[in-house]
Amino acid sequence: MGLTPYLAFAKKSFLSKSAYRLDHWMGILNTMIRLFIFVEIYKSLYGTREAVDGITMTMVTTNFILSLCLESFFAVDDFYLSSRINNGSIATEMLLPVSFHGRMLATNLGTAVFKLIFHFIPALLLAIFFIGMEAPAGAGNFVLFILSAILGYGVLWSISFMFQMLSFWLINVWAIMTIKNVFINVLSGSMIPLWFMPKWMSGVINFTPFASIYFSPVQIYLGNIGAAEIGMCFVKQIVWILVLMIIGKLLWIKGQKKMVVQGG
Amino acid sequence: MKNDVIKLSATYTKMIFRSWFQYKVDAILRSLAVFMREATSIIVIYFTLTKFDSINGWNIYEMLLLFSLVYMTYGILIIFFTGLRDFGHTVRDGSFDRYILRPRGLLFQLIFANADWFAAVGHGGLGILLFVISAAKLGVVWTPLRVLYYVFAIIGGVLIQGAIFLFLATLNIYLLETNMLKEVFYWNMRKFSGYPMSIFHKAIQFVMTFIVPFAFVNYFPAQFILRKDDMAAYSEIFMYIAPFVGIVLYMLAYLFWRFSIKYYKSSGN
Repeated sequence: MGLTPYLAFAKKSFLSKSAYRLDHWMGILNTMIRLFIFVEIYKSLYGTREAVDGITMTMVTTNFILSLCLESFFAVDDFYLSSRINNGSIATEMLLPVSFHGRMLATNLGTAVFKLIFHFIPALLLAIFFIGMEAPAGAGNFVLFILSAILGYGVLWSISFMFQMLSFWLINVWAIMTIKNVFINVLSGSMIPLWFMPKWMSGVINFTPFASIYFSPVQIYLGNIGAAEIGMCFVKQIVWILVLMIIGKLLWIKGQKKMVVQGG
Repeated sequence: MKNDVIKLSATYTKMIFRSWFQYKVDAILRSLAVFMREATSIIVIYFTLTKFDSINGWNIYEMLLLFSLVYMTYGILIIFFTGLRDFGHTVRDGSFDRYILRPRGLLFQLIFANADWFAAVGHGGLGILLFVISAAKLGVVWTPLRVLYYVFAIIGGVLIQGAIFLFLATLNIYLLETNMLKEVFYWNMRKFSGYPMSIFHKAIQFVMTFIVPFAFVNYFPAQFILRKDDMAAYSEIFMYIAPFVGIVLYMLAYLFWRFSIKYYKSSGN
């Protein structure tokens, strides 16, 4: 059996994404508008200054382009589990001879691949053409950037995975997911580049998984950090994925026992 | 009939509160989540201005005044217009058909059956808090004219956004999926209307003034007391007509709704 059913799930979600064309084009436009606006804000903040704390305007631009483009393809469905608990279909899905979590990941990956091709790449090209950004610091940096971005997606996915397991205990996980996303938005560097965070805040962020999502890949791309620090970034990403997934799995085992299916 | 309208809207409101209090923990968590989500922009601007002091001459308190008008108007907006904001969903799952069968105006049902009071408190509370703090820190002197201006500016701001919702809701009759349009033309504009419009590209300023006129929700009303240098780029008239733009816009959107509702076809089965 192997991977075949999961490929089918991924393909299905890939194809269902392509059904909403208008939505899709609007999504790209949306990313572009947000990018333009962030860049305008920072242009105004920089004024005539070349650099602030050694960070140039193009580095800021590059940070926003990479973070927002990555954000556009890092597909996570925060309500995958809760929607299945609420409508009762979880009961039949758990009887299927495929792993529930495998299916969940495959579905998200199918969407992610679709968005990588049809959202990330066009948005990135448009951004390079209309706004312009720095080239990667080197070929090695570029390869490591891609690896680190994939792990960044892993971290984002694992955070969602862990929080989704709370669906077993909460009637509605919307509030928890919203609060989770507030932390991701503020602390991951996609709304304010982490270089400009106050010192004490950077200290706090160091102990959270959030900088591992977008900011580590960006730092590697720009060549802002040395080999030792790059290694540290990878270790952090892997450790966070493991920790979050293990907590998630433990919650899953506990939750299954007390699952209450409403209707179905 | 008049009496009936009041009674019916009271019943709807009572029903909404009852369903909210069914799940108390959820209701509290929800309000907290809304509050935190909305405070995100404030946190971001706070950290940014800790580093950079001011943006195009606007300091943190002047920025908070801009934000406060967005939140206050939205707080009132979702009491009346939540049904229109989520109209796409109502159409897609077919429950709009039920509304049609009932012996009351469609717009009336959409407005009163969906008021989101908890979020209204979250948004409105944050808005009032920011408004009071920034006005005090900026030493605003409240003349009767200014008070009157702000009362009308806030009502106008609610109507501008209500008109946008109504317009997008009407589009649902023609297109089944308009969420992304809303994301682009409403939510993005709203997110960035917290910044002084003058820092943006001319094209965006044009959109914010003439197409999705968010500038009349907060930028021009804020200029009415702040009179920052960047106002020189715009006609003074914008400041004075700000309270009235909403009325005109809402009337236009309403005519579009009346015209289009005749063409509604159900997507349900």
